[in-house]
Amino acid sequence: MTSSSTPSRKALSKIACNRLQKELAEWQVGPPAGFKYKVSDNLQRWVIEVGGAEGTLYAGETYQLQVDFPEHYPMEAPQVIFLNPAPMHPHIYSNGHICLDILYDSWSPAMTVSSVCISILSMLSSSPAKQRPADNDRYVRNCRNGRSPKETRWWFHDDKV
Amino acid sequence: MAAEAEAEEEVRLEVEAVVAVYGEDCRVYCDFPPHLVVHVRPNTADDSSQQFVELFLGIKASSQYPKEPPHVYAVESKGLDENRQAYLISSIQDKAKELSYYPMLVTLCEEAGEILSNMNHPAGDCPLCLYPLVSENNHDSALPFMKLMSCYHCFHSDCIMRWWGWLQHDDANSKKIDTTISTGEELRLSNSDKLYNANHHKGFCPVCRKVFDEKDIEHVRDLLDANTSQLMACLTVDLGEDDKELLHSEAEKKRREKIGSLFNLQQERNGLIEPKKDLAIQPGMYVSLPAIEPTTSAGDSTNSWEATASSTSVTDPPVTANISGGGKKQNNSGPPRRNRAYAPRKQPHGQRAGKQWQRSQPARQQWQKKDAET
Repeated sequence: MTSSSTPSRKALSKIACNRLQKELAEWQVGPPAGFKYKVSDNLQRWVIEVGGAEGTLYAGETYQLQVDFPEHYPMEAPQVIFLNPAPMHPHIYSNGHICLDILYDSWSPAMTVSSVCISILSMLSSSPAKQRPADNDRYVRNCRNGRSPKETRWWFHDDKV
Repeated sequence: MAAEAEAEEEVRLEVEAVVAVYGEDCRVYCDFPPHLVVHVRPNTADDSSQQFVELFLGIKASSQYPKEPPHVYAVESKGLDENRQAYLISSIQDKAKELSYYPMLVTLCEEAGEILSNMNHPAGDCPLCLYPLVSENNHDSALPFMKLMSCYHCFHSDCIMRWWGWLQHDDANSKKIDTTISTGEELRLSNSDKLYNANHHKGFCPVCRKVFDEKDIEHVRDLLDANTSQLMACLTVDLGEDDKELLHSEAEKKRREKIGSLFNLQQERNGLIEPKKDLAIQPGMYVSLPAIEPTTSAGDSTNSWEATASSTSVTDPPVTANISGGGKKQNNSGPPRRNRAYAPRKQPHGQRAGKQWQRSQPARQQWQKKDAET
C-alpha cells in the first residue's frame, strides 16, 4: 500500500551513489544493534528489519523499515516508513508514516541510515503505551493516494517519546 | 631559607615570562606553585582558517618545581582524536622530565605548539561523503578540506560548498512551496520552517547545527574559485534551467577577468608576439590598421571601444593607459554576450589599435570613417 509512495522517483546522483555505497559498506562491517539489512540489489531502497529492544513494550517483535533515497541524498532526507504492519506507537501512523523531526525538517546531511535507525529504535523504546496517534484515522485518510510522508507538514509537539 | 625564597622568586619570574609570551592566551591560576592554562595553536602565521587543531594545555607544578617536573594535562582540545591527544600530552610530559631542574614553562608551551603544527590536520571522515578528510598514506589523492570558523567542524571543501549551494536553493524553493501549499487542515507550518526561512543566506553546520553565514566559508570560496564555477555548473544542471544563465555568466565573467588581466600583464612585459596586420598606405606615411573582423560581435566591440577612445584621446601619452583601462572594463562589465569565446581575443585588437592610433594622429579621421562604414 505505502510501498509505491514515491511517484516520479529520480535515479540517484553520482554523489548519492558514492555515499550510499560507503554507508552500506560500513553497515556491513558494523550494523547498529538490533537491525538487519535485507540484501537486495537496489541501492536506492533499503529494507531493514528492526527488533524491539529487550525490556520495552516491543521486545520480541520484529518490524520492517523501508528507506527510500532521493536523487540528492544526503542533502535531502531519505523517506523512512514502516512496512505493514507498523508498530503501535503514539508517533507512528497505521500507514507506516513516522512523526520524527530528523526525517523531515531537522534532517542534516551528516546523519546516516544507521543514525536514523538508532533514533527510531530509541523512539520505539521510550514509548509509554502501544497506541496510535490521536489523529491517525484522519491523517491516513488524507494520505490515501500513496502520498509520501515527506509531503506532510509535520507538527513536532512531543519531545518525550 | 634564603635560597628557597630565591628559587620561588625565579619561578614567579618564569610565570611572568609565559604571560609575556602568550598574553591573553595564558590564564594563570596560581603564581606559586605555578598552575596555568595556555591556549596553544599550530604555527600558521595567525591564519586561523588554517588551524584545524588547538589545545588548552594545563600545567600544574608542585612547590618542588623545577626539580620535580610539572603535571601536564589537556583541559580542552579541538580537532584532536583520543590517540593524537594522548600522544601530544605524553610528548610534553617526556619533554618535562627531560628538562627537570631547568625552567621549562615557556619551552613546554612551545613544544606543544610544535607538535600541534605537525598534526595540524583534521582527523576522521568528512561527515558529508564519509570518506577520510586526510588519507594517511596517499597525500596526492587527498581532496582539499576546510573547517567552519565557528565550530571547527571539518569537511571536504567541495562537500560543504555543495551543502551551502543546496541550502540556498532549497531556501528559494521552500518559499515557493509555502505560497502554493494547500490549506489542508492537517497541514501546519512548523516552527523550524519559519526559522529556516528567516535564515536566508545562512546555513547550519551539518554536525552541530551551529548557524554559519557566508563569512564562515569565505576562506574556501577564494580557494575554490575555479572549482566553484564547475560546481555551480554541476548544480545548475541539477537544479534546473532558471539559474543556469545567471550562474554561468558569473563564472564566465570571472574567467574572463582572469584571462584579461593575464593578457594585460603579458602585454606590459612585451611578452606577446602579435601577428602582423595589413598595412594601409596613406599619402605621405604608413599607418597600420587593425584588421576589422567581419563578425558582428567583434565589430561591435571595436566600435564602442573606439567611441571611448576618440573622446578621451588628447594625444598625451598617459591617455594610452586610460584607454586600455577603459577598454578592459568595458569588456568585463558588459552584458553577457552569446559569443563569449571571442571576448579574450577581442582585447588585443582594441588595445593594439589604441596604441597605434596614438602614435599616428592623422590616421584618426580616416579610421573612424572606415569604421562607420562597417
